[in-house]
Amino acid sequence: MWRWLIPLSVVPVLGLLAYGFRVNPRDIPSPLVGRPAAPFVLRTFDGRDVSLESLRGRVVVLNFWASWCYPACYEEAPALERSWRAYRGREVSVVGVAIQDQPDAARKFIADFSLSFPNAPDPDGKVSVDYGVYGVPETFFIDRAGRIRRKQTGAVSDDLFRREVEKLLGEPA
Amino acid sequence: MIPELGQGALVVGIVLAVYGAIAAAAGAQTGRPALIESAQRAALAVFALVTACFLLLAYAFLTFDFSVRYVAHQTTLSTPFYYRVTAVWGALEGSILLWAWMLALYTLIVVLRHRGERDLYPWALSVMLGIIAFFLLVMTLPAPPFERLTPVPADGRGLNPLLEDTGMITHPVALYLGFTGFTVPFAFAMAALVTGRVGDAWITTTRRWTIVAWYFLSLGLLIGGWWSYHVLGWGGYWAWDPVENAAFMPWLTGTALLHSAMIQERRRMLKLWNISLVILTFGLTIFGTFLTRSGVIASVHAFSQGSIGAFFLAFLGLVLLVAFGGLAWRWDRLTAQGELDSILSRESAFLLNNVFLVAAAFTVFFGTVFPLLSEAIRGVKVSVGAPFFNQVNVPLFLSLIFLMGVGPLIAWRRASIDNLKRNFLGPVAIGLVAAAVLHLVGVRSTLAVLTLALALFAAATIALDVLRGTRARLRTGAGLARAVTGLLLRHNRRYGGFVIHLGILLVALGVTGSQAWSVQTEATLKRGQAVEVAGYRFRFEGLSATQESTHARVVGTFAVSRGGGAPIVMRPSKKFYRQEQAPIAGVDYRMGLTEDLYLVLGDFARDGSAATVKVLVNRLVSWIWIGGLVLTLGALLAIVPDDRAA
Amino acid sequence: MTTNQNTKFLVGGAVIVLALAYLIYTGVTQSAVYFITPSELAAAAVAGKAYRLGGMVVPGSVHWNPASLDLEFALTDGKGRVPVRHTGTPPDLFGEGRGAVVEGSWTPEGYFKATLIMAKHSENYQAPHGDPSSAAYEEMIRALQRRAPR
Repeated sequence: MWRWLIPLSVVPVLGLLAYGFRVNPRDIPSPLVGRPAAPFVLRTFDGRDVSLESLRGRVVVLNFWASWCYPACYEEAPALERSWRAYRGREVSVVGVAIQDQPDAARKFIADFSLSFPNAPDPDGKVSVDYGVYGVPETFFIDRAGRIRRKQTGAVSDDLFRREVEKLLGEPA
Repeated sequence: MIPELGQGALVVGIVLAVYGAIAAAAGAQTGRPALIESAQRAALAVFALVTACFLLLAYAFLTFDFSVRYVAHQTTLSTPFYYRVTAVWGALEGSILLWAWMLALYTLIVVLRHRGERDLYPWALSVMLGIIAFFLLVMTLPAPPFERLTPVPADGRGLNPLLEDTGMITHPVALYLGFTGFTVPFAFAMAALVTGRVGDAWITTTRRWTIVAWYFLSLGLLIGGWWSYHVLGWGGYWAWDPVENAAFMPWLTGTALLHSAMIQERRRMLKLWNISLVILTFGLTIFGTFLTRSGVIASVHAFSQGSIGAFFLAFLGLVLLVAFGGLAWRWDRLTAQGELDSILSRESAFLLNNVFLVAAAFTVFFGTVFPLLSEAIRGVKVSVGAPFFNQVNVPLFLSLIFLMGVGPLIAWRRASIDNLKRNFLGPVAIGLVAAAVLHLVGVRSTLAVLTLALALFAAATIALDVLRGTRARLRTGAGLARAVTGLLLRHNRRYGGFVIHLGILLVALGVTGSQAWSVQTEATLKRGQAVEVAGYRFRFEGLSATQESTHARVVGTFAVSRGGGAPIVMRPSKKFYRQEQAPIAGVDYRMGLTEDLYLVLGDFARDGSAATVKVLVNRLVSWIWIGGLVLTLGALLAIVPDDRAA
Repeated sequence: MTTNQNTKFLVGGAVIVLALAYLIYTGVTQSAVYFITPSELAAAAVAGKAYRLGGMVVPGSVHWNPASLDLEFALTDGKGRVPVRHTGTPPDLFGEGRGAVVEGSWTPEGYFKATLIMAKHSENYQAPHGDPSSAAYEEMIRALQRRAPR
């Protein structure tokens, strides 16, 4: 019977490798997580104003992108639009910030993906500096109390969006 | 249209591969030749379909079809023709396609060579088609090469600039020929387990396959080292990075298999061990892909993450559980019939070689997954770096070099004192004299002395054997040239092995030399200033910039002279790619038999008046690449058809 | 196999396994590198132990002297702050306000001696074009081109 130990000994090794999926070796924790989000006022591409203050009490998903950011921004744009539509009736706002982008290229990007949530340029780069953005895409999930709860580096998926937003919606304002 | 054709071909390919695998198994089980012939036709069709996929993808690349996500990811409009072809296998999706294509090719060759056989072949065919089906499945779900992209970007992102190099084009091809090559011995071993014919048939059938796979894997590793050396710009060729380890582990177990297979052929021993080794080697090739593509272990090589890791892990689990389960099932037939007569025998030398090789593979595995292990058990993130691997593996590799000298000349079964004296007195003396001489000329690194003395000992045993064989032939009246070539060709397997050993010894020489005697320094120089390293003067002459098709390049000019000799000019550079966050080093180097000069441009003053440069004088590195060439010759010699059999 | 031989092989095998275990054990204890954050390091630093420290480069903390190749900066995770010294050119991705991972050890003198500064990049993530260092590079490349090499 001892011979069956040979195939069985494979199991713990596989278990260990599967455990590896749970941890991300590349994680560098952001110093901003858990802190109040920096206030911002932005003028969107279609000329409306959007500010963090006006969104207080709602869950805010703040997404930094650029039209030259291929492929990650191209991958996440449809996911963001889908998620934004899915959560429209709930207390969730999605705000896109195009950083260091040509206005025309950014407008084309918005049109190409039919993005309907507010998107604004960050002309003097102030917002991206406040949020410590050093690459695109980066996405910040801000709770109802205005604290940054998670920073996502790289593309956002439907799954991730739902998971984070559901968690924050479940909390009292 | 093209992507849809490719996608369609993949799906049909899966269906046919699965059908073929089932038909071959059913044919083997029921003994109906019609089923096996049908499976063979399926294999042929799968090969044709995968080839078509490959050509379609290449066509998409050549025509800049950015509606295909993979193409847009890997090329820009400025990518030259040459790199558009090689970009086909430059990243995940294409490399899986290349892998599947090679598997299909190997399967085709197996069909052509073995069709009509009834014992192991049908089952082996079934296993191979099953494995192809898995890789095709990967291409339809987690890594689809033909996936569409909307909206279609005007221009693509472009190949990772580090991959724009001949080394990076040939490296994956060689590596994958090696990886996939081990599928054939694995398939025949599985056939042996299923049928219960666990004798020597599968070993003799796949002997040449194992050598071919081993050879390509060795070549892949060496080209990888070469790429790392002349592209990455850190001055080394091997960093014990998880990605490198992933290819090194199957090499170690594959090397063990090559040796232990000889014992089974000769003495009918080690059946269980050999089957285990072939399972382990094949498992490690899959594990390697899992490791590099799942993102589970951090590596300096940036690879995508995604569901592909789960696919490979599931497949790995299936392979290992089924294969080792089969092993346990056939346990009674696998337990050895021959037995070891004496510790002083060739069998035990080979056995020891196997133990050390597998031990080395284990330590590499352990070190690679150590961060996971420590986090899972102790909850702390800890990793072990190059020092760990060096420290643990050096004693193992030194022992292996020693055995390399002992194994080929010691007698089978039981070595007499006489046999030992006759064969080893001279080589041992040479090794000792070499150690003494090295010490006298001032070599102070014990490790270097030990390695070189052992290498000379091993080389001397080979020389002794060749000398004896040649002398015997000369006595029959042949000329010297004819005597040597006759010897090599008549016992091509034995001497092929020896030549491969010589190649490995040369690689060891290069590794030892570069570790023990290389020097490096880093300095910031104003224009006209110079730094001296190892007798060379490197004078900074200035900076210039050029715009090339895919990047801008800042070039530093350095005049390098030694003593009063005329200076040569070296131009290390930095390349700025639009799609990259950081500039990429353009190393400049001059290779030589004893030393390489190697310059890397660091930071520089924006007005070009000063630059920081890293200067390396690397010793004996060229012998690593020369060793690779020798190894190639040896492998060719070992796989030419035996003229005794003809 | 005779019992006598069996014993021999068992002993031989045991010796090899023990030797290997010893090699691995000493290897791990001597070359283990602990992944740690600045606040964790500030709380419990052991001098001489090898660490891999990840955090953000504190803006304004970077002092780089090209002539002596001395690099000084501080890493933070928002809670702790660790001074770091290194000899050698900073990697191209290195910059104030950016993430960095350094490997080295804590010294009794109260700073982190880095032997390696890592610049990892991922293929799905890009630095802005307009970031200060690359803009400076572009400017410089144009200037160097105007001057035309001999």
